[in-house]
Amino acid sequence: MTRRRLKTGALLLALLALGGFLVVAAGLVPIAASSGHWRITAWFLHFAMRRAVATRTLGDELPPRDEPWLVLKGAGHYEGACRPCHGRPEEPLPPVPHAMTPHPPRLGPELATKWEPEELFYVVKHGIKFTGMPGWPSQQRDDEVLAMVAFLLELPDLDAEGYRRLVHGDAAPAFVADPLPELARRHCARCHGLDGCGRESPAFPRLAGQSREYLGAALHAFADGRRHSGIMRPIAAGLSGDQRDELAGYYSDQRGCPPSDERSAAAIARGGQIAERGVPAQRVPACVDCHGPGRPRRNAAMPDLAGQYADYLVLQLELFKARQRGGSAYAHLMTPVASPLDAEQIRDLAAYYASLKPAP
Amino acid sequence: MTRFALSSSPDTASGRRRRATIRATDLALLAGVAALVACAGPQSALDPAGRGAERIAELFWWMTAGTVVVWAAVMALAFYVSTRRREPGPRAPGVLIVGGGVVLPVLVLTALLIWGLALLPSLLAGVDAEPTLFVTGRQFWWEVVYRTSDGRVVPLANELRLPVGRPAVLQLDSHDVIHSLWIPALAGKVDMIPGRVTRLTLEPSRTGVFRGLCAEYCGLSHAHMAFVVAVTEEHEFAEWLAHQAEPASAPASPLAARGQELLLAHGCGACHTIRGTLADGDVGPDLTHVGGRLSIAAGTLSSDPRAFQRWIEAPEQVKPGVHMPAFAMLPQADREALAAYLEGLK
Repeated sequence: MTRRRLKTGALLLALLALGGFLVVAAGLVPIAASSGHWRITAWFLHFAMRRAVATRTLGDELPPRDEPWLVLKGAGHYEGACRPCHGRPEEPLPPVPHAMTPHPPRLGPELATKWEPEELFYVVKHGIKFTGMPGWPSQQRDDEVLAMVAFLLELPDLDAEGYRRLVHGDAAPAFVADPLPELARRHCARCHGLDGCGRESPAFPRLAGQSREYLGAALHAFADGRRHSGIMRPIAAGLSGDQRDELAGYYSDQRGCPPSDERSAAAIARGGQIAERGVPAQRVPACVDCHGPGRPRRNAAMPDLAGQYADYLVLQLELFKARQRGGSAYAHLMTPVASPLDAEQIRDLAAYYASLKPAP
Repeated sequence: MTRFALSSSPDTASGRRRRATIRATDLALLAGVAALVACAGPQSALDPAGRGAERIAELFWWMTAGTVVVWAAVMALAFYVSTRRREPGPRAPGVLIVGGGVVLPVLVLTALLIWGLALLPSLLAGVDAEPTLFVTGRQFWWEVVYRTSDGRVVPLANELRLPVGRPAVLQLDSHDVIHSLWIPALAGKVDMIPGRVTRLTLEPSRTGVFRGLCAEYCGLSHAHMAFVVAVTEEHEFAEWLAHQAEPASAPASPLAARGQELLLAHGCGACHTIRGTLADGDVGPDLTHVGGRLSIAAGTLSSDPRAFQRWIEAPEQVKPGVHMPAFAMLPQADREALAAYLEGLK
């Protein structure tokens, strides 16, 4: 008796599956974005997404987002990569992505009320299938994703003017007639400034006065993913090889950034000692042989660190230490250098190089 | 039919027997040669060239002789027991067990222990010797420093040179893990322990080139952590030491000059010292006279330009676990120039 029922049930299920397959095979499933979802489908899909994100972030805890410049870093990237779909404050959503199903939401107050920061981090890092929301282009750079989250939490409170100030700074450079500065203005200046001084913020490294070789190699490495960054990769990959070299040349010709931020004299002295002599007991070589100062005939493919932002240097050393920075053909030389350094030594070194006068 | 004819042929049978005999003698000969090969050469404790190794070898031969005597006695006893007709007396087993199992071993082992312990002070003791040598074990190379009484400090690496006929005292230390320094032809081995200075006295009795090695497992390239010991006449040693104290010679060819420029530009000086240049690093071996050494990469490669190139290009292939990064990203011409410069640092 039960056996027969089981058999009937199995047969029914098989018929149902076959029927479903036939519906799909006959091309009857509606896939048109123009028709939208049924309300219940939309609810169900959204429910599935919320549950999936909540489950996958169980027990996650984000590192502190203390650095005030994290927001700036996120803002610059939002304007380039997110704004085309999610829009900006006090403006209607862009019409083309609005015709998507589901269409990208305006990122309003529910960002902070309905989502945990950890959930935002998960969504920004991994994206969402079937929605057009991409994952972060470089899975190595959680620090960039964190900067994005820091900005997203600020976004609902911004008006158009506040948004513009975060993205462009106080004075956004206007159109330049000369094609090369114009190229820099369009692709780089929003964050690095037209003068290459990085908007006075460690969010954006100083490019002014770096060698053409180093900047060019960095841009090429960003473009093909050898140097990891979800922010820089799309920008560099959108430029032609020649444009990258031209921009490298443009910024290497810029001069005269103001001195970087001040740190404690004791930290600078300790950092100077490490830079000059290394830490032989920890097998850390000296920095000056490759990065200056006082070594006039260095390989131009290695960056000059004088006057660079301390927080940027700390981040780079930490990325090298975690083997997540990548870079040009010389980048592997830094792995054995950065790995033995502890957090305090890294801060001291960064303070030392930040305190040096930038190349004149 | 054919098979039958062959196997019944007396000629062929004896031929096979002869072949078999030859094969056995061949094997014995090979084994003997192989055993004897290990008895001589630059890394043999049985071919001593120093006082310590001589005394250790002497002890070894006495022990071997003793072993042979004991073995022969045991065999003879076994033979005697298995062939005699008479029943033993009631006390014989007790005498044999107490005599051969307790009294004899105690006597022999005590004598050996006294002999061995008596050797130790003379092998390890520090004597006042000139110059003083400091050897520090590092993964996977040897930092060597000579200090002379007139205040000269001569750092070098992966090579020891000693004058024949007088003692030299080595002060041993380690930078990372426990190593052990062993020059089988000259003396016994002594551990190198981080944070503790141990001593070893070497007193070479004849000139020659010997091989030393690390005798305590110390990591991936433990087997590639060796060095060359050259024992020379007193005046040659003095000349050599005076030369080692000098700064590096200027590059002799345009290629070498370019090599020097590249070496400084690429930051090699952050880890290596070449006295007389801006290279003053304390992380890797001193390279001031690296081209004049008998080997590079701690006894693993000869010191010719090709070996230098190979090392610069892929140190990890020569020595797994090495801390030096590869410079394969440099153009071939640059690596050649670097090798030419280093090889010219005589």
